[in-house]
Amino acid sequence: MTKLSKRSMLKTLAATALATACALAPVVPAAAADKVTVGALRFTSHAASFVAFERGYFADEGLEVEFKFFQAAQPMAVAIASGDVDFGVTAISGGLINLAQKGAIKVVGGALQEEPGVDGQMILASRAAFDAGLTSPATLAGKSFGITQTGSSFHYMIHKIADKEGIPRSEITLRPLQKVGAVIGALKTGQIDAWTIVPHIAKAIAAGPEIEPIGMIADYIPDYQVTTVFTSTANASDKPDLVKRFLTAFAKGAADFNAALVDKTASAQEAEDMVRLIHKYVYADRPFEKAAPSIRNGAMRINEGARLNLTSVTDQLEWFQSENLVPASVTIDMLVDASFVETD
Amino acid sequence: MTLSDTPDRASARAGAPPQAESRLQPVPFRGGGFRPVRMRFVGPLVFAAILLLWEAGSRSGVISNLVLPAPSEAFEAFRQLVETGQLWRHLGASLQRLVIGWTLGMSLGVAAGLMIGLFSLARAGLMPLVSALFPIPKIALLPLFVIWFGIGEGSKVATILFGSFFPTVIATSAGVDNVDRSLVRMGQSFGLSWWSIVRKIILPGAMPAILSGARISASIAIILLVAAEMIGAEYGVGAYILMAGSLFATDQLLAGVAILSVMGLLVGWLIGRAERWLLRWRS
Amino acid sequence: MDLLLRGVSHRYGDTQVLADIDLAVGEGEIVCIIGPSGCGKSTLLRFIGGLERPDAGEVLLAGEPPAGSLNPLTYVFQDFALLPWRTVEGNVSLVLEDHGLSAARRREIIQDVLERTGLSDFKGALPRQLSGGMKQRVAIARALSVRPAVMLMDEPLSALDSQTRELLMDDLVGLWQRERFTACYVTHNLAEAVRLGHKIVVLSRRPGKIREIVEIDRDLADRQQADAKLEAVQRDLWHLLRDEARAADRELADDTV
Ligand SMILES: Nc1ncnc2c1ncn2[C@@H]1O[C@H](COP(=O)(O)OP(=O)(O)O)[C@@H](O)[C@H]1O
Ligand SMILES: [Mg+2]
Repeated sequence: MTKLSKRSMLKTLAATALATACALAPVVPAAAADKVTVGALRFTSHAASFVAFERGYFADEGLEVEFKFFQAAQPMAVAIASGDVDFGVTAISGGLINLAQKGAIKVVGGALQEEPGVDGQMILASRAAFDAGLTSPATLAGKSFGITQTGSSFHYMIHKIADKEGIPRSEITLRPLQKVGAVIGALKTGQIDAWTIVPHIAKAIAAGPEIEPIGMIADYIPDYQVTTVFTSTANASDKPDLVKRFLTAFAKGAADFNAALVDKTASAQEAEDMVRLIHKYVYADRPFEKAAPSIRNGAMRINEGARLNLTSVTDQLEWFQSENLVPASVTIDMLVDASFVETD
Repeated sequence: MTLSDTPDRASARAGAPPQAESRLQPVPFRGGGFRPVRMRFVGPLVFAAILLLWEAGSRSGVISNLVLPAPSEAFEAFRQLVETGQLWRHLGASLQRLVIGWTLGMSLGVAAGLMIGLFSLARAGLMPLVSALFPIPKIALLPLFVIWFGIGEGSKVATILFGSFFPTVIATSAGVDNVDRSLVRMGQSFGLSWWSIVRKIILPGAMPAILSGARISASIAIILLVAAEMIGAEYGVGAYILMAGSLFATDQLLAGVAILSVMGLLVGWLIGRAERWLLRWRS
Repeated sequence: MDLLLRGVSHRYGDTQVLADIDLAVGEGEIVCIIGPSGCGKSTLLRFIGGLERPDAGEVLLAGEPPAGSLNPLTYVFQDFALLPWRTVEGNVSLVLEDHGLSAARRREIIQDVLERTGLSDFKGALPRQLSGGMKQRVAIARALSVRPAVMLMDEPLSALDSQTRELLMDDLVGLWQRERFTACYVTHNLAEAVRLGHKIVVLSRRPGKIREIVEIDRDLADRQQADAKLEAVQRDLWHLLRDEARAADRELADDTV
């Protein structure tokens, strides 16, 4: 079932017409740049796109990129489904899978991934719960756990932890609080017992007395493919070349980013330049001196060559289905177009 | 009457026209209209027609599934809710919040409205406060409620309570103002106690206004349900709708919205019954 | 029980409403108060009923109220003042509920008073189902139920059409003959005053002063419609009132505020 929104259909039509016109035209300009809109959140985890743009990697691939910024991953996925945005990066959520099932979007590459040796997402407990004995995820039974929304990555993570610890999923009370800020507040005041979050936020809030770290996600979900690159189904099927070029440039940006801030193989000057580049997009409302540590702390590896851990994505899809959050009829092929990047 | 039978008078009495027969015209009718006529079947018919068109549009592909799911899909989502027994969990959680929050909001609102209506000091002190707080969208206060009342039932009940409190205060105090003062003077002239006058004259006299306030506050309570269940609710119709939204399960979303709408209709009907019973003294 | 007014004066803001009223109402007597509209009749009645206090002067009661009187000074209002949500029975019951009577005793009183006013068949009816005349009968029954020493009636028949008014006047005459109640009866209708009053107090235009007190010694039962003497009294009263009424009619409403 490949139903497309009117908008993306029109775009496809227009693109086809244009392509035909160009083919017929006697003189074809050598590098007529393709216009591409990239959806982004102002997070360090989206840095690969910013780097690729600032350093001209997109331009090298003949892409004229325009960013569209969002407050949350949710509306970004909708914008891609409606054809207003071409590419985006976000965690796999129930919403994303349902949009894929409706034939609107496809995952085409990997971005953030948990890996041994690099600081990953942490499991946190509130002070009260910690003092009452919640010192390891093994004692989560009967506790409450903060999530942003049903079917979010937080929801997936806590169930994977429960499964591994042999705790029935139903014995952990889920508290949907809509926003990351609300979860932090609830955890600090002890209104929820536990939560998991990316390292730069985790480290910042666990530094205070109200919150204690009690475990690492990497121990429960090895090789967890946290975020993926996705595009509209129309792009994936009709313009594979465009997708390929986007991913190539994106991967180049990722490589620079990893070298400067994750592996730290580049010079100190280059790391500094990288932080300055990212600061144009992230924490731009704060002075550079304040923003820099947050940017450095938030650096997690972006997959080399945008490779995608299909095993992890399959596991996530199966979990969503086990919770009846997405229809059982969704297959991995509906969700992923694995023809663009290496997978494992 | 005795009239002399002169010819012209006789003809005038018989009502014969003074002009020729051909000039006769009926008086142009200028009345009618401006009076709603009860038409029972039109509403359901329009409703059914829209559903049918919508379903046909979805089946034929004119309406993309991404844009809007078919009514049958929404119904299917509803059927699943019933079959899995989740419907009762969601409904139970929401109804409990609604009933507690709305009852408390109504009771406190009627009490405050009576105070404002009866005591000048309360009116001077509270009315500006009520006018200032009434238009604030309670959703905006949600973070505060979470700090004050926690993420448990407290903040949810409080949201609904606040939402239904203010319209009730305004309706009740206006109702008290509108109670016929001559009835109050009558009560005083017969030596009724203050409390008797409030209970037997003011309260029943303000009842029509209180009930129409109840209608508004009940709708507001249902509107606020989704907001109330944004924070920390595992079950509830509002939580279900939010979940459906975040999952892009538009069929479930529509099923949830339909449940809210039916709840609204039901509450409206119940209040209508209550009105008919409590105000049966009106024509 | 007698009623005595001494030097009653009153002003609302800048407007002098009543000036120096002296009046006595004897037991078993109907005193009619007439005067142009706005001259302070209702105000005077409110002073008598204790609903308001005059600026100057005093309203005094002489003697003990009759045994068993629950509300010695009892009103009958022009607009009936019935609770629309209570039945005929309930409306009478209302004024008995605050006096610590047993439910059985209350029922007894209600039944008795409804019988006396010919309302027994209507005890379950709501006010909206009753005609104006019936409503005022209910209000009179309600007033009688508390065994008043003095009935204060403020234009009780003014809201009724003239036929109903005649019927109710007959009723009132009949009632007075049986019960010999004392009443202050405010009206602007001269025929009513001549028909019901033992004493007719004529007030002048605002500020209301007593212009004249006319006594009619003919028994209420004997006052037939075409009674030459009564008609003469009525004509005299009209003579007294006509100029006052005309002047009052031409006053601007703003003057009173
Ligand atoms: N509560 C009040 N405050 C101010 N003015 C009043 C009030 N009650 C009555 N008046 C004024 O006093 C005058 C006498 O009123 P009222 O006793 O009702 O006259 P009547 O019953 O003879 O027609 C009128 O001019 C009226 O406007
Ligand atoms: Mg008057």
